[in-house]
Amino acid sequence: MDYSKVKDKIFSDAPEVDFSHAREMAPYLEEPKAMYVGAPGKRGYLDLGFELDADGKSILRQLDRRAPLIVQQELYFDEELPGMPCVYILSSGGPNVDGDRYTQNIRLKKDAMAFVSTGAATKLASMKYNYSGMVQTIELEAGAYLEFLPEPIIPHAGTRFICDTRMVVDPSATAVYSEIYMAGRKHHNGELFKFDILSVCSHGERPGGEQLFREKFIISPAEAPVREVGVMGGYDVFANVIVMTPAEKAAEVYAATEPFIDRKNSLAAGITHLPNNAGLLFKVLGMEPGPVKKVVREFVSKVRMAVKGVPLPEEFPWR
Amino acid sequence: MDSRIVQLYRLIQFSDATFPVGTFSFSNGLETASYERIVSDAATLEEYCRSAARQAAFSDGVTALHAHRAALAGDYDELVRADRALMLFKMNDEARLMLQRMGKKLAELSVRLFEKDGMAVRWLADINAGTTPGTYPVAQGVAFAAAGLSEDDLFSSHQYGVINMVLGAALRCVRVSHYDTQEILFRLADEIPSLYNQAKDMTFADMNCFVPEMDILASLHEKGNMRMFMS
Repeated sequence: MDYSKVKDKIFSDAPEVDFSHAREMAPYLEEPKAMYVGAPGKRGYLDLGFELDADGKSILRQLDRRAPLIVQQELYFDEELPGMPCVYILSSGGPNVDGDRYTQNIRLKKDAMAFVSTGAATKLASMKYNYSGMVQTIELEAGAYLEFLPEPIIPHAGTRFICDTRMVVDPSATAVYSEIYMAGRKHHNGELFKFDILSVCSHGERPGGEQLFREKFIISPAEAPVREVGVMGGYDVFANVIVMTPAEKAAEVYAATEPFIDRKNSLAAGITHLPNNAGLLFKVLGMEPGPVKKVVREFVSKVRMAVKGVPLPEEFPWR
Repeated sequence: MDSRIVQLYRLIQFSDATFPVGTFSFSNGLETASYERIVSDAATLEEYCRSAARQAAFSDGVTALHAHRAALAGDYDELVRADRALMLFKMNDEARLMLQRMGKKLAELSVRLFEKDGMAVRWLADINAGTTPGTYPVAQGVAFAAAGLSEDDLFSSHQYGVINMVLGAALRCVRVSHYDTQEILFRLADEIPSLYNQAKDMTFADMNCFVPEMDILASLHEKGNMRMFMS
């Protein structure tokens, strides 16, 4: 069925996500011939609100969702922080497909803590007409602590993805947000950097609106070679970890983290301060997602040690 | 209006490696790239310069163009907005230090060169008062506007400055000759028009850069003890 000819289109009641103002997406605004943009099931929505209950325990108080995004009940499986609610974001649709739009809101009230990840890697399917886009808002009140560590993102050949993440964090709270990008399905005919575009913007601010930092990267392999020295060089996997945390915690983590280039294992990592004393930025390059993820987790463990006094537990063997 | 000959003369003066803004003390990460043998010859040096030029075009270059337009329009608030937008976007300490040091030097020089330019005077006063960060691309925009130079002139000078800074450092820390660096400088010129065509319509929200390997090198420099250069 050609959905472009459907007259009475039904739209999801989830918020609209529109990146047509982004210059880099201008070539990708054609309506998909399959299910249209905004159709139920193509406009995912998640609203997660964590807070302390009457006994001072962190719980997932607010949960609203629209397909294909799913979050179920919170679990308490972190052995180092047994009081921390943990949730996995799942997608019933499989990969992000042409014209998908997602909104994810994560809110932590005063002193609450939470761990959020995805159940598996996020696959970005090949796209012909349009793009897939995601808008995220992460809001932390005073003293709150969030680890948002999704599994890697795998951009298939010909995919287009744009993501805007807004982090509104109280000066006394700590938000850790990591992204791991693979170059493609490396072991599927050596699919490396065959995607059309990845456009990723993350920006931080204080609850009053004071802007702290803005990072945006656009990877468009056909436009600008990614293999150049200084860009990806010979590496295939890239991780970016943003840590918004009070200055004294940032100093502690910065002192405990050594940047390195490990030629033998083809791994490299660097750390720096975000502008305006907003926290830290940690970057990792590697060849495979496993070792990169391990370096990211070792770094996040230092953050957790500085803020909560305990490390990250060992990763589950099946993850 | 100065004649074109005077304009070209000014353009050469502002772009010269001996223009006293401290270019020579920064390597834009090259010192570490050389030590780590990521840049070891003319071919890898050229790639490194290309990466540096591209990331600068879509951040510093965009800011310089906005500042130039604001200065010509007498829109001081926009100048301050450009300055802040660039600082939000600069993700490492040494890069922020470089932009502010060179920016202040150029602002001080501009007040001497363009005594009657009210905007240059106000700009330096605000940097000294700490009310604006005072980044180099904004100072370039103000100076080029005061000198009657065009946007094309400014963008060429900005790109030349970025590439020549890396090449100048390369002569001191990479095994390359003057012939190599001049050939690279000459060849990379052909890529600048395309960068300008993209940068000229970008807003602050469009500014982007993707150089993770350079970011990691900057971090190694920031936490290391190599100090022939300040970045």
